[in-house]
Amino acid sequence: MRIIFFTGKGGVGKSTIAAAAAWQLAQQRRVLIVSLDPAHNLGDIFNVTLKNKRKRFSENLYLQEVDLRQMARAYLEKETNVLSDTYSYLKALNLDHYFSVLKYSPGIEEYALLTSIERAIREETDFDYLLFDTPPTGLTLRFLALPQVTVTWIERLTAIRRQILEKRYTIQKIRRPLKTGEEKRELRLSYDEKDDDILNRLLVLQENYGKLTAVLQGATCGIVLVFNPDLLSLRESERLIEGLGDLKLPLRLLVQNKVTEENRTIADQVAGALQQASGHKGPSRYVALNQDIALKGASLYNISEDLRSDLEF
Amino acid sequence: MASSFLGYCRQMLTDMGTAQRESLVSLTCLEVQELENIFALLLMGSFIGLPAPPTFLSVELLPFMEREMRILHQRAEDAHDMLAEIMGTLGID
Repeated sequence: MRIIFFTGKGGVGKSTIAAAAAWQLAQQRRVLIVSLDPAHNLGDIFNVTLKNKRKRFSENLYLQEVDLRQMARAYLEKETNVLSDTYSYLKALNLDHYFSVLKYSPGIEEYALLTSIERAIREETDFDYLLFDTPPTGLTLRFLALPQVTVTWIERLTAIRRQILEKRYTIQKIRRPLKTGEEKRELRLSYDEKDDDILNRLLVLQENYGKLTAVLQGATCGIVLVFNPDLLSLRESERLIEGLGDLKLPLRLLVQNKVTEENRTIADQVAGALQQASGHKGPSRYVALNQDIALKGASLYNISEDLRSDLEF
Repeated sequence: MASSFLGYCRQMLTDMGTAQRESLVSLTCLEVQELENIFALLLMGSFIGLPAPPTFLSVELLPFMEREMRILHQRAEDAHDMLAEIMGTLGID
């Protein structure tokens, strides 16, 4: 299975290019396209109503929009319920609903995004291509960085936890062992790695995020950068390329959208600059500006440029 | 009589041994407690303005952190009298 992310500045045409690529790929392969952008356009492009449910558009093409707010809400609701259960006595005083303020926790949207990507990668194995239409640059970079940031945190915390357990073990060794049937006179803490809930949880999380990072940096994953022939788009794309480089995520294709005869010179300059910034890692394609946005059967947006061959890495 | 006297002696020696061991581990115990305190602080530092880890990491580990949170609380309570704390640790009366 190939996993492809379409990234770029807001309004450059990520969704359009992603939809066109999905349509072209679906002529031969099984494709699922997932929109992660809170401002969903996927349904509009294919002229269907998706509403957080998956829809089969053609024989090989499936569409899905992820409602991030709802995912974040569902996750926090679960945590809030655990808290409310623990503090169930508050129900008697009718104070338990104050935990609902948790739903405004920052950082939860990125987490919801990451979870939906992770779930899609894990569950949708019967597709040949998994295409993600991402939110604009800032949020995209933040959530793509999240697995690595989290893994760093987990590693540090695991190291401290191991040190704690080691010291507990030393203490246990110096104190004489308990005879059978003897009552503990002082608090004896677990020192075995298998018995420590926190360490176990940390290790599970580390494994999950390690796997996700490996998939994102691996040979089956690719990032497609969409941009326009203008200065703002160029600058933001340069920052994005730099960010992707830092995260060691593989850039596969540069797509310049909305190229016309008039802006061809600028388009060449922008493409050249970005090719240089990316170290000529992927090919660069031009997609012409087409005023005709009606969906005409197979020729989506009338995008006739071949995007498929570049995505069959 | 003799056996209970011997038993008494044995008990005394065992207790002396235990006391020795306890005094040996007391410093390590304190170190562990401090480490646990640091662990809790790292995870929940946002309460006092430290940079926090990804929110959900704290949320995920929260259910297992009861002991660490108690220690954190205790440390915060004792913090205003560090001198007494150090004296207690070093066994100075």
